[in-house]
Amino acid sequence: MLLNPLTLHLPKTPLEAAKLYKELEDSKVLAGGTFLLNSMKLLKTKGTKTARNILSLAKVDDLKGIDFKGDTLTIKAMTRINELFDYSLPKGHLEILHTVCRNISTNPIRNMATVGGNLTCRYTWTEMGAVMIALEAKMHFLGPDGKEDILTAEDFFKNAARSEKLFTHVTIKTNPAARTAYRRVRKTLHVDIPMLAICVKTEIKGKQWYNSRIGINNGVAFAQRDPVLEAFLDKSSSSSGLGEQALEYLTATIYDTRSSEYKQHMFRVSLRSAIEEICKST
Amino acid sequence: MQVNLTINKKLYTLELKGHETLMEVLREHLSMTGTKTACQETECGTCTVMINGKAVLSCITLAANAQGDEITTIEGLANGDVLHPVQQAYVDCGSVQCGFCIPGMIMSSVALLEKNPQPTQEEIEYALDGNICRCAGYPKIFEAVREAGKKMKSEN
Repeated sequence: MLLNPLTLHLPKTPLEAAKLYKELEDSKVLAGGTFLLNSMKLLKTKGTKTARNILSLAKVDDLKGIDFKGDTLTIKAMTRINELFDYSLPKGHLEILHTVCRNISTNPIRNMATVGGNLTCRYTWTEMGAVMIALEAKMHFLGPDGKEDILTAEDFFKNAARSEKLFTHVTIKTNPAARTAYRRVRKTLHVDIPMLAICVKTEIKGKQWYNSRIGINNGVAFAQRDPVLEAFLDKSSSSSGLGEQALEYLTATIYDTRSSEYKQHMFRVSLRSAIEEICKST
Repeated sequence: MQVNLTINKKLYTLELKGHETLMEVLREHLSMTGTKTACQETECGTCTVMINGKAVLSCITLAANAQGDEITTIEGLANGDVLHPVQQAYVDCGSVQCGFCIPGMIMSSVALLEKNPQPTQEEIEYALDGNICRCAGYPKIFEAVREAGKKMKSEN
């Protein structure tokens, strides 16, 4: 027996799921299962109690799928990472989502893990947070009364990725002026957990950068923006030295927190190369 | 709870507990021991099966969650005594060493080739990156995938 006994709840609609999410005590939400079931197994081996009620979203069809209408991309919570990887995204900065998906773990995990799970599992090292902050994504939550709350990804992670309501989908707007670059570094060659992930987004007029958004995942805190670096980049233009110059503006509380020298070095390498990638594309 | 599972195109009605994983149900309730168990924590890929045509890990799939889905295991590939083209290619190419990883490898290979019978090397590596072979027999495994793809394409 790999898991402790539990009661599995299988709602069929988002509202039914949202009501159970509010009502069930000692419960966890099961999306793809790649974080939750693994951690429950690990806790069992240590003799630790695990959630008695599991609220599975596997049969809630309205939480599955991707849609692009007008200028808005909608990714529903139960969309698998590989479904997003295979989806024909609109040309432009949103294609960065393919790069993010490509770099997540292994193929069977990408077939199972969901975008919603990655965003809301409350592990600080998951990949999607930084990119959703950089892309100025909006996260939608459904309450038991059927009312929807919409939060920016930035606000959601500022609140330590907590919500009393059920996460249903994320929306992102296209932006023809935007450019993006993404970097992810794994912890070790053999353990595919990211040590850091960064997403740089900016808008370009001529060579001038503006409305830059830097999403940082340092693995220690929840994904966050870097306003100091953004302010510097917004006063800058694409040039061959911009990546190097940007390294003067890294805030210690983001990049040095409980970091080894290797990790600090990899942050610098990653940020420099991401910024240079955008410079070269303009 | 009563659970209906469609495994290798056959419907099974089972009395299961909510916490039972698909791997446990296959091996312990149905004696389908072709699906192997090793790390039990998503690292090795030996427990790979196909659900709705996608390679997934049965060690982190709750069996009751797979109701209504099409589950395919290694036992469901051969047609009587005739091996599936992927199984045959693994034999022909000498891709099997100790053999422990092979059911999982084959399931990932079938899922890939059913979607894309002429994968590039990069696509093969992408599809099989969750399956670990401790004998390190990867070149022969990749060769088998390419050969099986050719055969599957010519048969279609």
